[in-house]
Amino acid sequence: MTGAIVEPSRVGEVVEASTASFVAQCYELHQPPPLGSLVRTRAGSIMIYGIVFNARTGSIEPGRRPIARGQEEEEEADIFKSNPQLTKLLRTDFEAVVVGYRDELLHQYLPPAPGHIHSFVHLCEKKEVEEFSGRLDFLDIILGSKILLGVDELVGASLRYASGAHADPRAFLVEAGRALASSLGGDLHRLNSLLKRLK
Amino acid sequence: MFACSRLCYTPNHLAAMTLDLFQTVPQIEAMSAELKAERSRHQQQLQEALELLGSALDVQALKRKIETGKTTWLVAGLESGLGERFPLPPTPPDFYVVATDGSHIDIDRHRTASCYLINVGLVALRYGENAQAHLSNSPRLYSSKEEMVLSLPSSGNRGEPLRGELLGVKRGAEECRRLCDLVRQRAEPSPTLALLDGSLILWGLTGGAYPEAVVQELLETGLLACLGELQQLAERGPLGVGSYISFPGNTEVVNALRVAVCPVEPVDCDRCSREGKEKECERMAGLRDRDLFAGLLKPGERSPIFYSRSSIVRKYYGRHEVCFFYLNVDDEIARVEVPRWVVEMGQTDLTHALVYDQCRRGQGYPVVLSEAHEQAVLTGADRERFWEMVEETMVKKGMETKGSAKSDSKRTRWI
Repeated sequence: MTGAIVEPSRVGEVVEASTASFVAQCYELHQPPPLGSLVRTRAGSIMIYGIVFNARTGSIEPGRRPIARGQEEEEEADIFKSNPQLTKLLRTDFEAVVVGYRDELLHQYLPPAPGHIHSFVHLCEKKEVEEFSGRLDFLDIILGSKILLGVDELVGASLRYASGAHADPRAFLVEAGRALASSLGGDLHRLNSLLKRLK
Repeated sequence: MFACSRLCYTPNHLAAMTLDLFQTVPQIEAMSAELKAERSRHQQQLQEALELLGSALDVQALKRKIETGKTTWLVAGLESGLGERFPLPPTPPDFYVVATDGSHIDIDRHRTASCYLINVGLVALRYGENAQAHLSNSPRLYSSKEEMVLSLPSSGNRGEPLRGELLGVKRGAEECRRLCDLVRQRAEPSPTLALLDGSLILWGLTGGAYPEAVVQELLETGLLACLGELQQLAERGPLGVGSYISFPGNTEVVNALRVAVCPVEPVDCDRCSREGKEKECERMAGLRDRDLFAGLLKPGERSPIFYSRSSIVRKYYGRHEVCFFYLNVDDEIARVEVPRWVVEMGQTDLTHALVYDQCRRGQGYPVVLSEAHEQAVLTGADRERFWEMVEETMVKKGMETKGSAKSDSKRTRWI
């Protein structure tokens, strides 16, 4: 299944930043960008690109856990209507693994400096996704990253998402499969499992 | 450095703990045995009190007896009866609930900078078609010389230092002032409940601890001025104003029953004590109003309106005289205090309905108050960070920041 490119928009703000990844808080509850989508943020004059993973929604304060509230409500939306404060007490965050940056040129390796706290995070538009995924060096960054979510899951999701930006998604995925074969060398079992995720 | 868990679980290190649990546990056990015996005694007292409430009490005669009597304990003023139950009124489809709560960092004489900080948590919740929420907090630092004292126009330049209890009272006034702002800022004049936490009666100012001029100034320029503003706002649309007391310890209504059973008229506690008579009223001593109404009210029901006969209210509150009722909020009996004009303007039902609705939504406690508290609360870490920031800023400006040796010793513990 190829991914449908979501309308570009400002989705949130960086709240934690390191060279290899950043965490952003979404402006809208329950509306993180899709898994594997390409987002960008700024660090001064450079633009940092990241691939979205590990979106989560929870309490804004670690000590205050949400409790079940809907036993007497008909619809789930009624819970928020009866408890309007909930939208202010919950938050949706997502992480992004940094896969490149742009100064005058587009680079698919780590930037010289991490993103800035409170920098806006935008979901990239289709043309930008197409341009970025025109090269596949970023796959090696994801494959080598130390993220909690399965790396292969993220590689699959990012390629499926990016394929939606290309005129021939299938051809793009085939090309990506070749790049993965080259990166994974003799690990046929893993390659096989990854290729299954591109279908 | 040893981890805390090692200190706590290694017998050799028990001496390092401040509280000796080996000595404390038997005392806790003795206490619980005593409490158990007291509970069964309470049950008998309660039964008797409820029977008295259910009997045909002559309310007019009791009112007179209360007014003419001299008791050593505070007795509720009666409006109508004592034992009527008022069912839960309907909740309007669209309404607002607003609340504020506060927290403060008091002046610390062991620190270099003389200042205090008041943090007010503000919450406005809109229910119905356009359900919305506004949650924020507003910290304000006070540091000028004028802000360190309560200046009294009547006594020249003399001022009362604003710290401790008086700072708490100033904070309360600030909470009420911000509550007025929230009511004023509503987008529409829909029915509204404006709620404060705790009592409207400023008990901290009673008992002659402060000069009369101080009490008057604090009340008139603070709480009472704000209540006056809320009264004006109530003239523009339905507005319930009240303060909410969870698990109240008051005994005023029970005391009214104690007056009822007193065989002496006029009631005179001092004379009774002097003569060493066996006191009839002792039959109900130790009972609290909440015990009484827990046995009387069903969930959602409220008691009749009573009014406070405390001296501070009688002397200073005027049209804001504090009235109150008890409400069964399912899990407990709460006390709701309202200014007299809320009752006179017919807003008791709105207050009753919306306070109950808030408790229902908040698992037994008004959701608007718990959120206001969450916004206002200053943790120990916040306080430490605040003083660090004050000192860092002073150092950056080239000022000396010598605190007291006592303060240093608390921050740096050594052996």
